[in-house]
Amino acid sequence: MKSVRRLIFVILSLFCISSIMHAQDIDEIIAKHIDAHGDTDKWDAIQSMEIRGRFIAFSEEDDFYALKTNSGAYYSELHLGKHKVTEAFNGTSGWTIDPWHDFSFPRALNKTEVNVFNQKAEFFTPFYKWEERGFTVELLGKQTVDGIDVFAIKLSRPNGKSETWFLDANTYLEYKCESEWADFGYGGPAESYFDDFRTVNGIVIPFFIERTFYQRNRMLQIEDIKFNIEVDEELFEFPRSAEMKKLAFLEGEWDVKVDVWSRRGSWYRLDSTFSIILWESTNRLLEKIIYDRIYVQSKWINYSYISSEKKYKIIVYNGFSSDFELFEGNFNDSTFIADQVFINREDSTQQNAFSRIILRDMEGDSFVFEVKTTRDAGANWRPQDKFTYIRRKELF
Amino acid sequence: MMKILNHLWMITSVIFIYTLTGLSQNSNSESWSQFRGPHGDGVSTEDLSQINWAETQPTRLWKKEIGPAFSELIVSEGVVFTMASEQTDSISGFEFVAAYEEDTGDELWRSNVDSIFIEIDGWGHGSRSTPTVDELNIYSLSANGKLTANSKKDGNRIWQLDLVKAFGSTCPRWGYSSSPILVDNQLIMEVGGTDSSAFMSFDKTNGNTIWASANGNASYNSPLLVTIDGQEQIIFANGQKLVAYTSQGDTLWSYTMPFGNIIASPVFIGPNKIFLSGIRNPGFIIVQIEENKATELIHGNSMKNDFSSCLYYNGYIYGFHVASLRCISAETGKVKWTKRGFGKGSLILVDNKLLVLSDQGKLAVVEATPDSYIENGSIQSISGKSWTAPSFQDGKIYVRNLTEAACYTLK
Repeated sequence: MKSVRRLIFVILSLFCISSIMHAQDIDEIIAKHIDAHGDTDKWDAIQSMEIRGRFIAFSEEDDFYALKTNSGAYYSELHLGKHKVTEAFNGTSGWTIDPWHDFSFPRALNKTEVNVFNQKAEFFTPFYKWEERGFTVELLGKQTVDGIDVFAIKLSRPNGKSETWFLDANTYLEYKCESEWADFGYGGPAESYFDDFRTVNGIVIPFFIERTFYQRNRMLQIEDIKFNIEVDEELFEFPRSAEMKKLAFLEGEWDVKVDVWSRRGSWYRLDSTFSIILWESTNRLLEKIIYDRIYVQSKWINYSYISSEKKYKIIVYNGFSSDFELFEGNFNDSTFIADQVFINREDSTQQNAFSRIILRDMEGDSFVFEVKTTRDAGANWRPQDKFTYIRRKELF
Repeated sequence: MMKILNHLWMITSVIFIYTLTGLSQNSNSESWSQFRGPHGDGVSTEDLSQINWAETQPTRLWKKEIGPAFSELIVSEGVVFTMASEQTDSISGFEFVAAYEEDTGDELWRSNVDSIFIEIDGWGHGSRSTPTVDELNIYSLSANGKLTANSKKDGNRIWQLDLVKAFGSTCPRWGYSSSPILVDNQLIMEVGGTDSSAFMSFDKTNGNTIWASANGNASYNSPLLVTIDGQEQIIFANGQKLVAYTSQGDTLWSYTMPFGNIIASPVFIGPNKIFLSGIRNPGFIIVQIEENKATELIHGNSMKNDFSSCLYYNGYIYGFHVASLRCISAETGKVKWTKRGFGKGSLILVDNKLLVLSDQGKLAVVEATPDSYIENGSIQSISGKSWTAPSFQDGKIYVRNLTEAACYTLK
C-alpha cells in the first residue's frame, strides 16, 4: 500500500513538474520571440508606423502604403489588378473601397473582415503583452515546416478567433502563421510567411510577407518604415461619400414653416415647428420633425445615397399613419428631386399617381422642402406641401 | 557498268541517310512544336550534359514587344511561332499568329485570326491557347474560339472554324485556353460544343470533323497524347470526365472528375498513371489505368495547381502548389520540399534541371531532385506578369510576359 502511495506521489509530482516546465517553455519561447524583435522600450515609444513598399497581387506589382497606430488602427492603399483599393480600421470597425470587388464606394467590414483587420493592424508581435490583451496561448509543440524547426503556438483572441504561429526555433522570429482571412467577404484559411527581417531604430520587423488564401497569393516587400508620424484619426473613419457631402448642409436644427397648397391656388400656413437633422452614420442623415397637418404628424426622414445605384434614397416614416414612403432621386443643378417609388410595382394605379420631393433654394442657412403630386405619371405636377427651413441660431 | 552502279548506289545511300538525318533533326516529335513541348509534358528531350549549369549564364539573344497574349512560344525549323494581339481601342483589336526568326526575333509574318479577347477582370487580353505546327501549317485557337490553320511559310490562311457558331460552344469566362494537339492527320482539341461535341478531331488539311464525343463546356486545360499498354491514347479532362480515346474516337476508359473545370493539364506518369490537379479540394488525384479501367490511387492537398501545370520526373511531381514551387512524391503525395518566392510561376524540365519562371520573370535553374531545393542560378529574364511557361529548343530558352518575348541561349 505504501509503495502504491509512493508511486501515485511520484506520478503526480512528475505531472506537476511537467506542467510547470511546459508553462516555462512557452513563456520562455515567447520571451525570446519578443526579445528577437528588439528593444520593447523602443516598441513602447512608437505611436504610429508608416509603411511604404511594393505589393504583388495577381502577379502585378504596384505601390503599397499603410499606416498603423498603437491603438490598433490601420489604413492602407494598395492595388489589386488595375484597381486601387483603400481600406481602414479604427480598432473596432472599418471600411474598404474595393473596385476589384465591385465596390467603388466605401462599405463596412463584416465580422470576418474585422478579424482580418485585427491581424493587419497588429502593431508589434501579437504575443507582446498577450495576457494584458486578453489573449490565450498554447504551445502545440516543436515541428518542422519547410525543413525549418519551429515552435507551433496557438494564439486565441478575445473575439474567439485563433491563429497558429510557427516561430523559428533558432531565431525565435515568426516564420509562418495560419489564420482566418477573407476573400470577397468570405472567411477562409490563410498561410502567411515572414522573411527579410531588418532592424530599424533598434527594432526588428519582417520586410517581406507572403500570404496565400484560397488560390490567392499576395506579397509585400516593405521598402521604408517611418515611426511616430502625425496621424489624422479621421482617416480610419467611414468616409462620407461626395454625394452625401452635398446634403451635409441639412445637418442642424431648424425652424420650419409648414404650408399646404389651398384650393384657391396659393400656399396656406398650417403650422410653425422645428426640426433636427443629424448624421446617423457616415452615409445617413436622419430628420425628426413633428407638425400639425390637421392631425399631429410625426415624421422621421432618412436621407442616404446608394452608390451602387447612383441614387439618393429618402425614406419618410409617418408615425401618425404608421406608414412609410420611399423616394429615389438626384440633384438636378441646384435642385434636388426625388420621386416616390412603390415596392409593389405591378400596381398600375400607383405607377400613375405618386409624389415628388423637391429640395430647392438651398442657401446654407435655409432651404425649401416641397412635396408635389401627380396623377398622370408625371405629366403634370400639383403642389401639395411646402416646408421652409431656417437654421436656428441657438441650440435649444 | 558495275562501277557506275556502285557509285549510284553509294550516292543514293548518302542522299537517303542525309534525308533521314534531316528529317530526324526537323522532326516535330522532338521539337518544342506544341504546348508544353515535344510530348506535351513540359520536358525537353535535348541532351545538355555538356553544359555546366552552375557556370553557364544564359545570354540574351533578343527581346521584343509582340503584343498581349499568354500563348507559349513554339519552335520549328529555325522559326518561332506564337499568338499575340493588338488592341486598337478599349474594346476592339485583333489576335494574330506570328512567326519570328529564331536567332534574331525578327518578325517574318503575322496573320490575323480573330478579334481580340478583352478580359474584363484585368488579367490580360489576347490569346491563351498555344498553337501547334506540322511540316506545313500552324494551327491555333483564338480566345474567342476561332480555330485556324495558317501556312507556316507565309501565314496565309488555309481554313478556319468558329467553335461558337459551328458547334454551339460557349466561350469560357476567361477565354478559350485549351491548346490543340496533332495526331497523324488529325487536329484534336477540346471544343466544349453541344450535342456530344465536347472533344473533337478535325482533318488538319481542311478542318472537316472526323469525330466528336462527350458533353461539357470548354474548360482551360489541354489534351494529352500518351501510350498506355502499347495503345496510343488521347487524354481529355473537363469538368465532368477524365477520358481516353483512340485516334479513331473510340472511348477507351473514363473517370468521373472529382473537381470542376481544372486549368492545369493532365500529367502522364508512365507507364499507366495520370496526375490531375486543381486549385480546390481535393488538390490532386492520381488515377491508374489497367486494362482500360481507371481507378484512383491517391488524392491529397499537397499539390494544388492554379493555372500552371506540373511535370513528372523520376518518381516525383514538380509544380506550383498555389503560389509556391513544390516537389511531392508521385507515390505518396508527401511533400519533399517547398520554395516560395516565385509567385504563380511555371516550369519545364531540361536535362534533369528545372527551368522555373517566376510570375515576375525571374528564371531559375533548379535541380530536379526530391532531396531539397537546390538552385544553380537565376537571371531576371523578363519583367512584369509572366504567366506563360518557358519553351526550350536547341539550347535556347524562350520566355514571354504578357506583352514581350525574349530568347536566351545556353551555348
